[in-house]
Amino acid sequence: MSEPLLRAEGLTRHFRVGKLLSSQKLHAVDDVLFELGRGEIVALVGESGSGKSTIARLIARVYRPTAGEIFFEGRPVSALRTRRQRLAYASDVAMVFQDPYSSINPAYRVTHPIRRGVVLHRRDVPRSKRQEEVVESLASVGLLPAAQVAAKFPHELSGGQRQRVGFASALVVKPKLIVADEPVSMLDVSIRIGVLNLMSELREREGVSFLYITHDVASARYVADRVLVLYAGHLVEEGPTEDVIQRPKHPYTQLLLSAVPDPRAPLGVSDAADVGEPPKVIDPKEGCRFRARCPLAIDRCETETPRLRPVGRGRLAACHVAQAD
Amino acid sequence: MSLPSVADSVQPAGATVGSGPPEEATRRTAGGDVFRAVAHNRKALAGVGLLLGFVVLALIPGQIAPDDPRAKIYTPGLGPSWHHLFGTTAYGEDVFSQLVWGTRQSLLIAVLVGGLATVIGVVVGVSAGYLGGTTDGILSLITDVILVIPIFPLIIVIAAYERNSGFFTLVIVLGLLGWSYGARQLRSQTLSLRTRDFLEAARVRGERKSYVIVKEILPTMTSLIVASFLGAAVYAVLFAAGLQFIGLGDPNSQSWGTMLYWAENNEALGAGMTYWAIMPGVFVALLGAAFALLNYAFDEISSPALRLRKLETTGVDAEQETAVPIRPPDEKNILEVRDLSVAYASDHGPVVAVDRVSFELGRGEFLGIVGESACGKSTLVYAIARLLGAPLAGEITGGQVFFKGRDMVTLADKELRHIRWRDYSVVMQSAMNALNPVLTVADQMRDACEAHSTMSKREIEQRSKEVLRLVSIDPVHLHSYPHQLSGGMRQRAMIAMALLFTPELIVMDEPTSALDVVGQRSLMVQIKELQERLGFAVIFVTHDMSLVRHFSDRLLVMYAAQVAELGLTRQVFAKPLHPYTTGLLEAFPSIHGPKEHLLGIPGQPPDLLRLPPGCRFAPRCPHVADRCRVERPALYRVNGELVRCFLHEQAEEPVAVSTEGVA
Repeated sequence: MSEPLLRAEGLTRHFRVGKLLSSQKLHAVDDVLFELGRGEIVALVGESGSGKSTIARLIARVYRPTAGEIFFEGRPVSALRTRRQRLAYASDVAMVFQDPYSSINPAYRVTHPIRRGVVLHRRDVPRSKRQEEVVESLASVGLLPAAQVAAKFPHELSGGQRQRVGFASALVVKPKLIVADEPVSMLDVSIRIGVLNLMSELREREGVSFLYITHDVASARYVADRVLVLYAGHLVEEGPTEDVIQRPKHPYTQLLLSAVPDPRAPLGVSDAADVGEPPKVIDPKEGCRFRARCPLAIDRCETETPRLRPVGRGRLAACHVAQAD
Repeated sequence: MSLPSVADSVQPAGATVGSGPPEEATRRTAGGDVFRAVAHNRKALAGVGLLLGFVVLALIPGQIAPDDPRAKIYTPGLGPSWHHLFGTTAYGEDVFSQLVWGTRQSLLIAVLVGGLATVIGVVVGVSAGYLGGTTDGILSLITDVILVIPIFPLIIVIAAYERNSGFFTLVIVLGLLGWSYGARQLRSQTLSLRTRDFLEAARVRGERKSYVIVKEILPTMTSLIVASFLGAAVYAVLFAAGLQFIGLGDPNSQSWGTMLYWAENNEALGAGMTYWAIMPGVFVALLGAAFALLNYAFDEISSPALRLRKLETTGVDAEQETAVPIRPPDEKNILEVRDLSVAYASDHGPVVAVDRVSFELGRGEFLGIVGESACGKSTLVYAIARLLGAPLAGEITGGQVFFKGRDMVTLADKELRHIRWRDYSVVMQSAMNALNPVLTVADQMRDACEAHSTMSKREIEQRSKEVLRLVSIDPVHLHSYPHQLSGGMRQRAMIAMALLFTPELIVMDEPTSALDVVGQRSLMVQIKELQERLGFAVIFVTHDMSLVRHFSDRLLVMYAAQVAELGLTRQVFAKPLHPYTTGLLEAFPSIHGPKEHLLGIPGQPPDLLRLPPGCRFAPRCPHVADRCRVERPALYRVNGELVRCFLHEQAEEPVAVSTEGVA
């Protein structure tokens, strides 16, 4: 097998919480292992508080891991020392944010982040060609007529258009990977599809990989090749999207699937109100973190943390009860 | 600055890209905007006028003042006359000339001290806020210490030391002591910006810290920086005059403060030289007022929420006035909305956010209202609940809202207070904003109960626990603060509060849209269960059709301020009539069946200020015909449903439920 684009090994991030002198640790991400191939769209699915945004920020180097390592094209990210190395990484890995209303600086025209991307990472573009490059990148994400959009301020654009600006500024640095942190969850349902289609289109056209972070499994099915399911900082299931959706192994994945917003779906039995939420994992003990909400929990789940194990071709699940194919 | 999310839903989408009028008209320049805003703001005009006057005095005193201020050539102690506007001093100088020549120093002190204090304040405040940690600790400590130093005595001591060095010592001392207030404001503003995504985006992009501070943070804080400059300027003018008055600084300099000093020394008031003693004070006050006015005006201009726009109703909808005989409302309906119109004022004229919407709601019925952002759905329900104002601007410009037989539109505030919360209650979009963060859940429930009932303390406690149990929250959380609850729990607590008096109607404005899919689904199931158990009617506003699929009896689809389709939920889902409804339904990727390529609804809703001449949906419609671009469709009744689309015109004749469609 060839070297994956990105590999996370034992990725762990804890945050100190509570008062000044307390040593309580919030385990946002614990011992996560995954790979991301070139040109692949991988969905990272979980509820808020599951640690998916923390993983995005670990990859984007906003946070440093407490333990574990991220390898990008085989090289450890923690070994980036010089500004030149860090800039090179920033140009390989770009990020799109969740909230289109806060991700563009309101004091500038919408082209500001795109232009800065060109200035920092596209040294080949001469000063005189920058504006051209910026306008081109607006056009490439479907913001037309691009020259006119370029003259606007953020408040003059709708949420969907702003999110496209987010993609344009990620794309203009010619990244190999775009980490998209819930790029559609704050948009109207009616325009979400457009942004999802844009991701598939960019993968086809530019060959860029995506880590698509979402809480909506149906949108993951729509764009992603593979899906990773995260619960309370643990990876609980992994596999090809279609496979996972047709035959979910982990009871949490089944819960997520039953909650998918689908106007044509019949009212399922599992819709009996589940009022649980992912726990805040502070100084955890052994045991499955989903057990309190799990309809299938057995005694063993109290005492032993389930590890990811193969449950079929390309499939992994962290559950004592899940049956392999 | 981002607007509160509720307000977003009525703001016009701005200039529409692609389909708008000539783009030149919508292109704005920051400078032009400021100029226009100043021209329309009375405080700003007054402030600018005063300040300009002083600037002229400071620049060309020789041209304006008749005399050399130091020329002791007149009779001492003259009263005001044509020749000596404010009389003469005890030394025979012209008071008016002294005032004019004194302007320069006061203005210079204001500008220099303002500038110095602002620069220090910006550097300290922004660094503390952005860098955080130890840096923040140390800088904040220094700021706080300076803030509590009794400035006036300290300055007296310092100035007394430097008795004869005069002007520049004064500027530096005032500047060094005057920055702390601005620094604190800038720090807290920076703190609130720190979590904004655009700063994180800049870091991920690889920007240096210095770039982030200077080029990303500072430009977003212009209004605060200006405010801090103007505040420091006012402070400088007052302090400088005060110090000079008590004889510090150079008593031979030309300034208003020294004039006061000499007037006091010669007991000018007692000796009849009233203007000598009073006019310098008046000038100090006027200059201070000029800065203060500018400060207020800038505040108003930079935060539109402070500006009160008056809606000019003339020409909004003249058709409304044609008197329609009012039918009495039907007994079996809890709510009847007839031809309800709402408009709000904008910089570009009145915007009709709700355009002649009519519907009925039976007792215990569940109505879903769906549509995209800015279609007017939130404005509609806020109007029904008579809650327009803040955060949702707007005025009812026509129509009736019959709630239990009474017309809410004409109800006085006092009567409204009586039925609001008891007979109907409202659950807002974001529980985080709707719950008071400094009060516990119990406090907020008690406040509501005390305002709307005569329950005893024990009864209130009892009832609060009861309603929390209804929404599956353990009553131990009664004494929790909102931030101690998770997002889902806060939303459920809001619903619990709405249930306090078992109202007959609950209006819910996207109560679940801040939640994850799992939380959304479970909250919907719970709302439905409660509704069936307690029998209240629900109006549920959302942009997500899937949420109301299994829970609503009827569905109202809104598009660009109008009803696009209204019918039984089952029927609408089974056979949507309006192309827009079809588009909304097909916007969802499914986990069932084969994977399909979807298109969603291309484009975006029209700007309510620049509506297309024909059907409002025509620019985005897959079935658009030539006629749709020029002619407006009315509401047609098809199999008991209402739909605004020419495709269904033949099915039956237009309904006479509204006065529209005549246009």
